[in-house]
Amino acid sequence: MNKVQIDEILNKVNGIKITHKRKTRIRVDVDADSLPTLLELIKGRASYIHLSAITCVDWIADNQFELVYHVWSYEEKCLISAHTRIDRGSEKNPAKYISVYDLFKPADFFERDIFEMYGVTFIGSPRMEKFILTEWNGVPPMLKDFDAEAYVQETFKWTDYNPDWLQELTDQGGGIAVKPEDIRTAGNTHNMSTHRERDKAKAAAVKANDKMQGWKQ
Amino acid sequence: MKKELKIKQKERTNPLAHVFDDFIRFCQSKSLFMLHYCTGCGAIELPPAMTSRFDMERLGIQPMVTPRQADILLITGYVSIKTLKRVILTYEQMQSPKYVIGICSCTVNGGMYWQSYATAKKLNEYMPVDVYIAGCMPRPEAVMAGLQRLKDNIRNDKKEHKGSAWKDYFKRYDYYLGNQQALFGEDWQTPTDIIAEAKLYGLETEETYGKHTKLLEKHQTPLLPQEMRIK
Amino acid sequence: MRPENYQAVKLGDSNEYEIFIGPNHPGIEGNYAFRLMLDGDIVVSGKADAGYLHRGFEKLMEGRLWIQNLAIVPRICVPDPAPMEVAYSMAVEEIMGIEAPIRAQWIRTMQLELSRVAAHLFTFGGHAATTGMYTPMFWGVADRDLVLDLFEDFTGGRVYSIYNIPGGVRRELPPEFLQKLSNLLDYLESRQNDYDNLLFTNQVFVERAKGCGALTQSQALELSVTGPNLRACGLAYDVRRDDPYLVYDELEFDIPRQKHGDAYSRILVRRDELFQSIRILRQIIERLPSIKGKIRTPIPNPLSWNVRKGEAYARVESSKGELAYYVVSDGGDKPYRVHVRGPSSMHAVQTLEFLAKGARLEDVAQIMFSLDACPPEVDR
Repeated sequence: MNKVQIDEILNKVNGIKITHKRKTRIRVDVDADSLPTLLELIKGRASYIHLSAITCVDWIADNQFELVYHVWSYEEKCLISAHTRIDRGSEKNPAKYISVYDLFKPADFFERDIFEMYGVTFIGSPRMEKFILTEWNGVPPMLKDFDAEAYVQETFKWTDYNPDWLQELTDQGGGIAVKPEDIRTAGNTHNMSTHRERDKAKAAAVKANDKMQGWKQ
Repeated sequence: MKKELKIKQKERTNPLAHVFDDFIRFCQSKSLFMLHYCTGCGAIELPPAMTSRFDMERLGIQPMVTPRQADILLITGYVSIKTLKRVILTYEQMQSPKYVIGICSCTVNGGMYWQSYATAKKLNEYMPVDVYIAGCMPRPEAVMAGLQRLKDNIRNDKKEHKGSAWKDYFKRYDYYLGNQQALFGEDWQTPTDIIAEAKLYGLETEETYGKHTKLLEKHQTPLLPQEMRIK
Repeated sequence: MRPENYQAVKLGDSNEYEIFIGPNHPGIEGNYAFRLMLDGDIVVSGKADAGYLHRGFEKLMEGRLWIQNLAIVPRICVPDPAPMEVAYSMAVEEIMGIEAPIRAQWIRTMQLELSRVAAHLFTFGGHAATTGMYTPMFWGVADRDLVLDLFEDFTGGRVYSIYNIPGGVRRELPPEFLQKLSNLLDYLESRQNDYDNLLFTNQVFVERAKGCGALTQSQALELSVTGPNLRACGLAYDVRRDDPYLVYDELEFDIPRQKHGDAYSRILVRRDELFQSIRILRQIIERLPSIKGKIRTPIPNPLSWNVRKGEAYARVESSKGELAYYVVSDGGDKPYRVHVRGPSSMHAVQTLEFLAKGARLEDVAQIMFSLDACPPEVDR
């Protein structure tokens, strides 16, 4: 099956956008309503029978979830990534989507994973229950508005480890001398309020660049 | 420094008691059974350490499959919260004297998973740890050196008091239980009655009890004899 | 919960009872649990219980720099870490629109194949141990250690090498390394007869493994089984050949397969694959000295490195099956989303539950080891 033939099959779906990225990768963007139709079509007509993965991406700025279905064909030796966007929902009214379990059995695992990590309910999936996070009571952890670092600082008392030998090293200028945050913020110095901070960040950036010179080669 | 906790010790009348103690410690350090709980990546360096190349049996250490007959509990790597519950259950099932070895940096302070919401950071908040073997992951030689250190600690326990960390769990049970409850919720219960065991070993101190053990009692129903019936 | 508070499950008049395997159990690979409903010693149904190794990798990676992530990706699969690094690097390279220099690609291929050899040797031992044979375990682990010594030689790390970065590999090979590799391959080939006699043609093992956990080809395709487990069902599918990456299209190798799809077929496929890997490594030894050039395409300062907007799906063939990384960048200094598709996430959950049904209790461990399931890939 060549490029024209697969395009012909894909174009039967309304509002589809096809991008041929390279020989073995096709990116397809469809509406949430027509995605199951598309999967059924390429499974039945073009032998795309292997569901490689379902990925969920949280686009919090757009208030949307992006679901990506990666389907591989053993005969065509090509991978179609079908992208679709659904509404992100809210805490009271979580996001919902249709399960593709009756088309692809492995969807059971991936949909359950997304249910746990993002809180998207898949209607028709056989096991919408906790699997990995059975001991977790908080919000779905993969959501962008869940701050893992703040949660860790709150829950665990691990940062109190500050032995004398580390203090001595830091006093001598050793230890963690240049922090990655300093270098990153050095790039946009206009954000900084005081001259002192700016100078400090610049000095850190110079120091880091010196360290990196040998590394680049 | 931790303050020294007072134990109400029974009087020892046998004049040879200390000689026996020394002999028992010597024998103990020469034959240790090890339960390795594969909590994380460090478990991959144990097969080389156990099999013919590095050969742990030279040190008198053998793997054991059940916690009831094991002396050492090896925690091999990061401990996720789901695993930590099982680790504590396993630890409490073991018979005293028992020793815990934390392998990999993740058991020391969280290691490279310090940001992770799913792993417990410091193992010695939840159970007393005898030896830490840092490294990501420690080589089999390091594992062997750690085990050798444990053996020496057990042997020289009379002088240095490094080989009896397990007593700390009974002496300061309230502290450990408090950390466990902070993580698992107030109604956290284990099948083992630690306070009764502390009484049995004569290791109860004023820090064995506290507000956390009170909470434990609140959720606990008294243990009644089971009715046995044969059909 | 105290024992007296447990509520016993009443199953009416049936003889069925429930049993737990794992998480701390000699018949379980890694830290994983399996819940079985049994009638006598026949499994009525099984349910996987994962999450003991969950670290929230995908969340961690969103909070770290592109370069920092290289240190944590190999931790996702412990026995076979090299494909993880390579897949992640390949995905980032695809987003950036750069390509590793040709010499780096050859070195990466060598690393992948060495890692496959080590992982297969480890699996032989594990699988044999579930049938009560412990000698192959001792041999396999000892021979794997020789491969690890080579890893230490050229990457500096015994198990986790962290040798790849987006754009190439980190170090040039040490002098006389290829000679050492060649000696190791000679040694491994000389062991073929010993392994055959001890394990692959040993009646004790063959009787136990034949017919155990059999999977037909259509069932395997339905359950998205990949890698050696799929090839044991008769379909010669390999990402290395069908979706070529690195320099696999320049190398000659066969794709071994078997017909029956049972535990014995699976271990035979792995055995043949081990020797195919040796064949690939021999070709690399021959070709690598003639390939000169840089080993790294320059990348910006990794500490202030913004990867341009885009997404990529990189697939490699690990020793367990199809491994894929889906990486999304929003143009920032950290990945926006990384999704790891471990092959075992298919094998250890649905396939294992499917195969356990109707098997005997003592075969469950063997089925799990014969699928070469790696629980950290499920939990991530």
